[in-house]
Parts: sequence; structure tokens; C-alpha cells
Amino acid sequence: MNLRFGYGTNGFANHRLGDALSVLADLGYDGVALTLDHHHLDPYAPGLARRVSGLATRLMELGLSVVIETGARYLLDPRRKHAPTLLHDEREVRLDFLLRAVSIAADLGAEAVSCWSGVRPPAVDPQLAWDRLVDGCARLTEAASKAGVPVGFEPEPGMFVQDLAGWRTLHRALGMPRAFGLTLDLGHCRCLEPEPVADCVVAAAPWLVNVQIEDMRRGVHEHLEFGEGEIEFPPVLRALADTGYRGLVGVELPRHSHAAPDVARRSLSFLRAAAGQSGGAADRAPAQGQRAPGQRRPAGAVPAPDVLRAALAAVDDGGWLDEALRRVAADPSVISRLFPAAARRCGRGEILPGWTADEAARAVLLATLPAERAVAHARELYRHGDAAEKRAVLRALPLLPIGPSAVELLHDAIRTNDTRLVAAALGPYAAHLDAAAWRQAVVKCVFMGIPLTCVDDLDHRADSELAAMLAGVADERHAAGRELPDDAAALLAHLKAEKGI
Amino acid sequence: MRIFDPHVHMTSRTTDDYEAMAAAGVRAVVEPSFWLGQPRTSPGSFADYFDALIGWEPFRAGQFGIRHFATIALNPKEANDPRCREVLELVPRYLDKDAVVAVGEIGYDAMTPQEDHAFAAQLALAVEFDLPALVHTPHRDKVRGTQRSLDVVKESGIDPGRVVIDHLNEVTVELVRDTGCWLGFSIYPDTKMSPPRMVELLRRYGTERMLVNSAADWGRSDPLLTLRTGEAMLAAGFGQDEVDRVLWRNPAAFYGQSGRLDLSDTDAPADFAGNSIKRGGA
Repeated sequence: MNLRFGYGTNGFANHRLGDALSVLADLGYDGVALTLDHHHLDPYAPGLARRVSGLATRLMELGLSVVIETGARYLLDPRRKHAPTLLHDEREVRLDFLLRAVSIAADLGAEAVSCWSGVRPPAVDPQLAWDRLVDGCARLTEAASKAGVPVGFEPEPGMFVQDLAGWRTLHRALGMPRAFGLTLDLGHCRCLEPEPVADCVVAAAPWLVNVQIEDMRRGVHEHLEFGEGEIEFPPVLRALADTGYRGLVGVELPRHSHAAPDVARRSLSFLRAAAGQSGGAADRAPAQGQRAPGQRRPAGAVPAPDVLRAALAAVDDGGWLDEALRRVAADPSVISRLFPAAARRCGRGEILPGWTADEAARAVLLATLPAERAVAHARELYRHGDAAEKRAVLRALPLLPIGPSAVELLHDAIRTNDTRLVAAALGPYAAHLDAAAWRQAVVKCVFMGIPLTCVDDLDHRADSELAAMLAGVADERHAAGRELPDDAAALLAHLKAEKGI
Repeated sequence: MRIFDPHVHMTSRTTDDYEAMAAAGVRAVVEPSFWLGQPRTSPGSFADYFDALIGWEPFRAGQFGIRHFATIALNPKEANDPRCREVLELVPRYLDKDAVVAVGEIGYDAMTPQEDHAFAAQLALAVEFDLPALVHTPHRDKVRGTQRSLDVVKESGIDPGRVVIDHLNEVTVELVRDTGCWLGFSIYPDTKMSPPRMVELLRRYGTERMLVNSAADWGRSDPLLTLRTGEAMLAAGFGQDEVDRVLWRNPAAFYGQSGRLDLSDTDAPADFAGNSIKRGGA
């Protein structure tokens, strides 16, 4: 499919702009989402025209497209994040900034200027805030229309306009001008939209001028690397491509600047793999979005075997994996000697977020087994595996046609004190653990310092009994003058609020 | 001083030891499978032990920034127990593992026919799996035991450069010196070798193919005697480079012959970055 991927410069906050562009172009990105900021093309610093012209040349040399983002945190006010917005008393400061952004976008040949409403200040009542927003957007859209650059207004969780319904209301209030479009963040859709992500894409298609992409979990507005959240991307990307959208699909990971080049590399290889195979996966994929209680989540954390296989193509193993897969297909028993050799042959580098080459290769080997042999071999390889092999088996279980029949491997892993094994046991296959065992394992994670992000389906599955257990841990910690880890404390607070404990 | 202890039984040691070793500069260890104080009575008991050597123990070591490798074999003492002989059938499965860098400890305890069989069979496994071999020399009748071990090694056809003859001392060192095998010395608080005696042997025989280990286990022993030996070398006038050769480059070269000795990132200070699920990371 023909999607064009970009990357947000707010995810390169520790890079000079020129360096960030070079890195992204070298990695193979098609464009950048440029957040105007004090260190990235400051629109208030001297020499703006010269800098914009230099940047336009540089973008052309690198073959990068660009959209302009206006979400800098402290560009306008060094003390208050994002302030002032179009809702504040000092809203003219924001409007002036947005108009500058439109001019810069026009000079750079940008595909869109993106903006949001901001959070409503407590002192501004909702009706006044709405009137100010409509007025500001109308003036912005008029300028954008003259400059020939569309506005991409972005619903942002927690802000005054936070979802597609809010955008539609605003769009109507403005009189549906052509130059007022939509910036759709696919992670936000997973976070709070009532419809599955792919359905949001289809519904939003007529107005899309800019797309942002990252992984996310239901109800948690945290931009996550691909594979760490709940979105199954192949069907989403297929839906996006099928709408005929030709703008940039920009990775939005503003909190990953500390590792920007690696994150950008992994993100692009993930997106390419997800885009490359999405036809088949889309046919198989169950619908996304909110599930009925007890229904399995389509696991974004587990790429399909063909996605893993595609990502492994980048590994130089001298053809070992191809040969190994051929041999396993011909004689499943040979897997017992090929499985332990996978790390030596394919290496241990990360090829997709959360997936190293050895784990991916081992998962693909297991997925090659005939269905009727899969459980027996998985058990055998786990039983005789070193810690890395055991972990690879655990992570591959949800990919195998074995139903719940290997759940005893999870029990074994959870009995260990090896954080790598306990974490791997709480992936999507843990749906087969009964509630008591699952809660015990989650609380064990808290004790062992394992981040709860490793627990699949946590928000959906956490119940009042788990809350009571966590509260017990919290009491003991407090008695000892210690605190729960932040993630456990946040989960407990969330459960208390939700379950009314 | 960076230290690679090529023979230490960490399963028997506490986290205090790991902490002290890391502080002393120990960044990599090889833990040979051997006997425990308590005799085992079934192959299953060995399987769990081998599993710990490639599972739990490397995890423990990793928490202190120490890379942990293992050698796997049926040891000579327990090779005499008919209830344990089936362990020989378990061993090959473990020789495929990433962190298994040699076959060992093999060799002699009381020089029985059963030991002959296990020793020869496992040298053949070393050849088959393309792994080095770690040969224990007996406490009793040590000179004859060492000589006979060298004969068995020669008969097996394994390249002597891929064999270490361990627990040598002033009396046995010359038997091994010209065979092409590597020479292992275990530094103990009272028995075996001491740091000053080791320095004397290094002065006399040079540092080539010389391996110094603590062989610390469940008996009275000290995992820091590698460091003490390094310090004694410096005090005796050896240079830093010679100390590094004995305590790091030699064991790295010997076990590196397995093709599985991953020492990447051990040059960094001992913080455990390999564990992707540790908190923080930014």
C-alpha cells in the first residue's frame, strides 16, 4: 500500500533540527511533522525569513515533506504549558503564533498546519470558551485558505475539543469551510473514541489533512512505541490506505527523545512491516475497540508470524532461518536443536518494538509446526530451554493454534523469580489464566518491580479484588515507609475511582 | 582491573559474594557443573541443576552486572553412581545452549572404569559439539591422575588447545606445560594454590595459556582470590597488561573458542543494561 510515513520533530527534542532531518531522511522517512519551538525554527527569533528559506532548501535536498505542528509546550509562556490557548484571555498571542505558523507553512510548502483547542482554563466558562474557539478558528482558517495551506484541527484527549464528535460540532459551527480539516491521531482514537480505530479512520476520511500515529492503550493518554499498546495496526493502515489518504502519517512520540534515532528506526520498520502485510491480516482481524467483558483483545502486542518473518528479513543470518523453517516444515522434530541455536544465528538485536531477532525467529519456528504437534513441542522446548528459550516460548504461545492447552507453562513461569519469565507470562496468552492466578501474578509484578505495561489487557481485566490486593500491598508499604511503584499506585487509584471502593 | 573468573560455583554463593565480586572488577564468570556436597540420586536432580546453570544463576549474576556462562557434564565422582549414569544422555541437549561454553568438569576422581567411560564419552561430545573441554584433576593420586587425563585427552583426538587441565600446582604444572593444553590454577585460602605461590609459577612459566580461578564453591573458599592474585602480581613487578592477560584475555580466549562467549558491553561499568524490563531506562 502507498502510505507516506513521517516523524514528529518533537520526538527529537535533543537534536538540532538539521541533524534530526538528516537522521530521518537517512532512515527512509518521507517527511517530518515540524513542531515550531524555541530550538526548532523559533518563529520569534531573528532572521526568520532566512532560516525558513534555508530549511525549505534543506527539506528539498533531503526529499522530505513537511507539516507544521503548533503544540510546543513553553514557546509562548515559559511558566504555563501550552498557554495561552485560543480560549485564554490572551488568546491573541496564540492566534498571532498560529498565523505565523501558516506563513511559515506556506513558505515551506507544508501540507498542513496542525493545531488544537487547548484545555479550558477554569476561569473561562464553557460558552465563552466555545465562542472564543470558534472565532479563533474562523480567523485562522481564513488566513490558511488565502495561504493555500489547510488547517488540521486535532482533537486531543483532555482538551476542550477532545474527540471526533467535538471536531464535528466545531466544523459545523465554522460553516464547514474547505480549509478547515482534521488532524487525526490514531492513538487518541484507541484511547477514547467509541468506535474501533479503523472505523474512526473511515469516518474521518473526507476531512483528513494530517495523521499522527503511535500505539496507545484504552483510557490512557500516553504515546507508546509500537507494540507497547493495544492497537492492531495492519487493518488500521489498510483502512487508511483504502480511503485514498495521501498525506503524511507522522509518528508522534514526544517523550522518546532520549532514544530518538533508535525509536525512529524501529518505528519505521514496524510501520513498513504492518503496512506490507495488512491485506491478509485485515481479513483475519476481529473488530477493534471496546470489547464485551471476557472477550479476547486482538493483541497489538503480538505481531502475526508473517510480520515477524518480514522484520527478520533485515537480519543477516546467511540464510539460516529460511533453511531452518524449511527443515522444520519437513520434520518437526528437528526444532529441538534449531530452537536453541536461533540467537547465535540471528542475533539478539531488536527488530520490532519489544521483539528481538532471537525471540522473533523462535516464534516463527514454533508457528511453522503443524497444529497437532505445536503443544507438545512448545512444552518440550520450554522444559529444556534456557531462560531466553523459555521466554521465547511464552511469548509465542498466543501465535500458536493451541487454545488454552499450554497454560501450565504460564504457571511454571510465574512460579519463578526471574522477572523476564514472569513478564513474558503476562502477555496475551494470560487470558487463559483464571482470575485468581492472574491477580496473583499481577501483584507479583508489583513486588518484583516489573512494569505493569507488560500485563496484557490490564485495564480491562483489573477488578475490585485486584484493587483490594493492591490496597493491601500499599498498606504494608506505607507501614514500612515505602510507596507503591507509580504504575501500581495509578492503577489502584483508577480502580478505586472506577469501582467505587 | 577487569576479571574473568573461569571457574567458580556461584550456585553455592550468596548475593554478598556477587556484590563483592562486582566491586572487585569481576565482570564475567564460568560456572562448571560439578558435584554438590550432597550426592544426587537421580538424573532429574541433575536436569534441575543444569537448568539453574543456564536459567536462574545467569539471572542472579546479571543483577550484579556479571556475565554468567556454564560448562555442562556428568562429573567424575557421580559418574560412579549407577543411578546417575543416565545423565550422560541429558548432557547433549544442554551443549546446544548459548551460555554453555565448554564440556566440563570431566576427568578423574578415583580413576575407576566408570570414570574412564564418562570421561572419554564426554570428550567425544566436546568434539561433536565443537566445544572446549574443562578437565578436573583429582585430589588424591594427583600426579598419576593428571598424567592419565592427558593420555585420555590425547586419545580422544580433541585439539589440546581446546582443553584446560585444571587445579594444577607446582607438582603437576610441568606435566601439562608442553602438551598444548591450557593450564588452570585454583587459588584457595588453604589448599590448592595461594596468590604468592601462583605469582611464583607465573614468574617461572610465563603467562601464556595460564588461567587463574577461585573455584569458589560450597566449601571454604574465596571468590576474591582472583583479585588478590592480580594484586600480588602487581606487587611482584608484573605490569597491568600481564595481569589483564591472565585475569581477562586468557580466559576470554580459551572459552571464546566455543563461539558463544558474548562479552559485548562488559567494558562498560557494571550496570545491568541488558535487562529490558528494569524500571527507568531514559
